[in-house]
Amino acid sequence: MKICLMGFGSVGQGVARVFQMKRDEIKQEYGLDLDLVAALDRSGAAINPEGLDLKLLLETKKLTGKVSKYPEYGEEGVSGLEVLDRVEYNCLIEVTPTNIEDGEPALSHILKAMGDGKDVVTSNKGPLALKFSELARTARDNGVKFKYEASVGGAMPIINFAHETLSGCKIESIYGILNGTTNYILSRMAKEGSSYEQTLNEAQEMGIAETDPTQDVEGEDAACKVVILANSILKMDVTYVDVEVKGISQITPESISLAKKEGYLIKLIGEVSPDSLEVSPRLVKEGSPFAVEGTLNVATLKTDLADEVTVVGKGAGSIETASAILSDVISIWKTK
Amino acid sequence: MRLKLVLELLDVPGQLLDALNPIGRLGANIVAVIHQRDVKTERGTVPVQITIEGDKDTLNEVLNLIEETGIEIIEVDGILRKEKITTILVGNIVDQDLKDTVNLLNKIEGVMVADLDLKMSDHPEKSASRIVIEAQQGRKKEVLTKIKDIGNLKGFLVINEI
Repeated sequence: MKICLMGFGSVGQGVARVFQMKRDEIKQEYGLDLDLVAALDRSGAAINPEGLDLKLLLETKKLTGKVSKYPEYGEEGVSGLEVLDRVEYNCLIEVTPTNIEDGEPALSHILKAMGDGKDVVTSNKGPLALKFSELARTARDNGVKFKYEASVGGAMPIINFAHETLSGCKIESIYGILNGTTNYILSRMAKEGSSYEQTLNEAQEMGIAETDPTQDVEGEDAACKVVILANSILKMDVTYVDVEVKGISQITPESISLAKKEGYLIKLIGEVSPDSLEVSPRLVKEGSPFAVEGTLNVATLKTDLADEVTVVGKGAGSIETASAILSDVISIWKTK
Repeated sequence: MRLKLVLELLDVPGQLLDALNPIGRLGANIVAVIHQRDVKTERGTVPVQITIEGDKDTLNEVLNLIEETGIEIIEVDGILRKEKITTILVGNIVDQDLKDTVNLLNKIEGVMVADLDLKMSDHPEKSASRIVIEAQQGRKKEVLTKIKDIGNLKGFLVINEI
């Protein structure tokens, strides 16, 4: 399978590393050859129809910060759409940074690939949160596969889990902790009694929170995931603006200690149900499935037949997220 | 038929007698009374388990009469009549008139504020209060929405149960 990788940040490099680690195993088990023919970052691209050397690609990125410096096959300034036009490939992996204003450049990349009859795997929440129905329709119209397990909960299985493992069940609602950064901050605040600002600083120093933490702490990232789950699992037709969003920046040590006195923890919860799409700080019982610490994600799916099913997993991380992408690639391969 | 009730009594002398009185008067039998004074509810009241026996109409009358005397029936045959809802508000709780907030909550039909805990912060706008509300069974969702409305009205961050 010839693969085009758009985006070579943390997730993109994770994909390259996972391909490197698992290549032989996957070839043996599934007869699938993972051939990375193009990789793109802000600087440009590395393109080799015979397949890029993953080790060299990762080293080049590490040393120069640019895939376009890849020896012989690197090209500076080439755009994503240009790469998709020039390269012969079967599957696009779109992992450029999430943009919740207009979903670009990922939206154009994905639509172009689908239009050209290519399968698409993505972790990018922007296009999914803004244009879910258009993407699903375009995939259907062009007869291509479109998978996005990594967009919600990183390594925590949820989308394919709901579609495949729970097939036959009607999913009535989903409640979950869908953002690892905020869960880390709230867990630390509960443990240390520290202020929000202090804890955010600590998380930033540890690389758990971004320099501009808005998307995480104001609930925007979790809201994107709520939209994705609502569309893909509850079969609703909604976008980002339909979600009521409240973040954690107003949470105080006082409120956490009051909650604790009554046996509760405060968590940023995403709620997906036919009558409510919401991201807000909520009280959860200590000792309940939602009482997970650190950067873990968790989701409880309420179903008609299986009652409640809860999944937990690492919500972020380069290799962890790449694992979900790899599983999407393999499942596409299995249908061929 | 038999009914197992859990009543909520004030921890003062004579309360149990007041609760039992109507039962005998209306011709129902008292089968068992379990009274543990050291187990207390949120509001400092004592739950008492009573099993009574009689025909359906008499038992209904008994329930009405007990409630008329102002004694709360929490449970009938294992089914809760009330549920407890906890919520936390963050904001300028005192400046926004705490009494008014409680009144607004109490005005919601079938709702009563049972407990309130306040924690002031160095920054008054970051004070927090935990409010425990008792509501009629099955109305939780509606009550949570109303609490959120009150919070929005007063500029509080509302942290509701899941």
